[in-house]
Amino acid sequence: MLPLFKEIKDVIKWHELLWQMVGREVKTRYKQSILGYFWVILNPLAQMIVMSFAFSIILRIPTNAAGNIPYSIFLFVALLPWNLFSNSLSSATASLVGSSSLITKVYFPRTILVLSTILAKIVDFLFASIILIIYMIIYQVPININILWIIPIFIIQQIFTIGLSLFFAAANLLYRDIQYLLTLILLLWMYITPVIYPADLVPEKYRIVFQLNPMAVIVNAYRQTILGGGAPNYSSLLIACLLSIFVLLLGLSYFKSREKIFADNI
Amino acid sequence: MENTVIKFENVSKVFSFQNQKTFKEFLPALIKGEKTTNGFTALDKLNFEIKKGEVVGIIGPNGSGKSTILKLIAGVMWPNSGKVHVHGKVSPLIELGAGMHPELTGRENIYLNGAILGLKRKEIEKNLEAIIDFSEIREFIDQPVKHYSSGMYMRLAFSIAIHVHPEILLVDEILAVGDSDFQAKCFKKMEDYKKDNNITIVFVSHNMLQIESFCKRVIYLNHHQVVSDNIPKISINKYKIDNLKTIK
Repeated sequence: MLPLFKEIKDVIKWHELLWQMVGREVKTRYKQSILGYFWVILNPLAQMIVMSFAFSIILRIPTNAAGNIPYSIFLFVALLPWNLFSNSLSSATASLVGSSSLITKVYFPRTILVLSTILAKIVDFLFASIILIIYMIIYQVPININILWIIPIFIIQQIFTIGLSLFFAAANLLYRDIQYLLTLILLLWMYITPVIYPADLVPEKYRIVFQLNPMAVIVNAYRQTILGGGAPNYSSLLIACLLSIFVLLLGLSYFKSREKIFADNI
Repeated sequence: MENTVIKFENVSKVFSFQNQKTFKEFLPALIKGEKTTNGFTALDKLNFEIKKGEVVGIIGPNGSGKSTILKLIAGVMWPNSGKVHVHGKVSPLIELGAGMHPELTGRENIYLNGAILGLKRKEIEKNLEAIIDFSEIREFIDQPVKHYSSGMYMRLAFSIAIHVHPEILLVDEILAVGDSDFQAKCFKKMEDYKKDNNITIVFVSHNMLQIESFCKRVIYLNHHQVVSDNIPKISINKYKIDNLKTIK
């Protein structure tokens, strides 16, 4: 725990740099493109339309949700946070290598590079969520007080994402194979996470795999609280939370142990 | 001790390289028990101290470890053994423009680079006019820097770095670039820093004239060790004699 607090203190001390880096990411991403930042919304929207067509009209995956919630909303509620996770992880993994000129020249906490990338992805995520909100209004999806659960769920997701990102970013700096490996991992991971199908379609004997996959618990919890209007499964969420903190501590300790040789190996 | 801002104690730095470039070569080598990495010694048990307000030049042939010393002081590299003590805020003037983003405007880059060099937003705002004035590119300051000429780019980068108000200033060859007018202006600014007894300057260059006129003490490195640590004349002389020997 101690190195975590020390790192948090360091990042707070350098918070101006963190915000500048987030600003840089967000401002420069879609420069010199006509639609500009609108791409952030357009991308998941197109993804949702295509996937909805494939999985609800061709494959006819049931949503198992009470009422008349269309598959597209069912999918989108899970797809947005999954995309956030997947985009954050892959960009963060490349973030250290992409800033090699800074790493070899100026000192600042290296975790800032990883954190700023993830924060920029969160900004994208918030913009993309606008469609979901509009969509939910159109279809009059009922919501209640349980929707506030998305705040702790979101925080758990970020703890998990940061932990993994720190590990992958440091590993990728030393072995560039990691970024290619990650693409493969993320592809497989999406299928063992109930993004395109409901969690209750999974046979009982495989449920344990889901319990130990924080992303499955998180994605499922979003769905339960936003669409189902119920509370999430507390014990699963607690396990996911503890696992995420564990991953964060592990990721950070790996990152810190490699940090001293970043400039030598980049 | 309280006057010492930089202290190297038995500092060694070894870079290791992978011998086998591909996995196909690496795996057999690993099984056969061959050496998979090759060490290159950049610094070998280096000892020196720099006191507050000193202006120290570091000279030596290519690959003698000059830049490695600056990187160790800047805190971007760690020694393999020994200890590097640094007291004070370090500002590197090493290869300018590392943090510049081509799509951002000059003004936005001032904020970004300022933050990278550890400045608070208020400090940047306070110095914004001075930075723009010094760079002499006021009319282009709201243009993306990708449209800048390399000279303009360099001017902006240097203006930001020089306004950081450092306690320890690291200068690596940078003054070799840019037109002579701007170079002279940079040196003038550095002369101001030299007069300030709270600012320590470590200066790396191949230009012996610059070193001799600017520094009060010169460390001559060769074969990863300190050969001479003396007034500029003596160190530079030793360097020149060694140089002649190698040419012969």
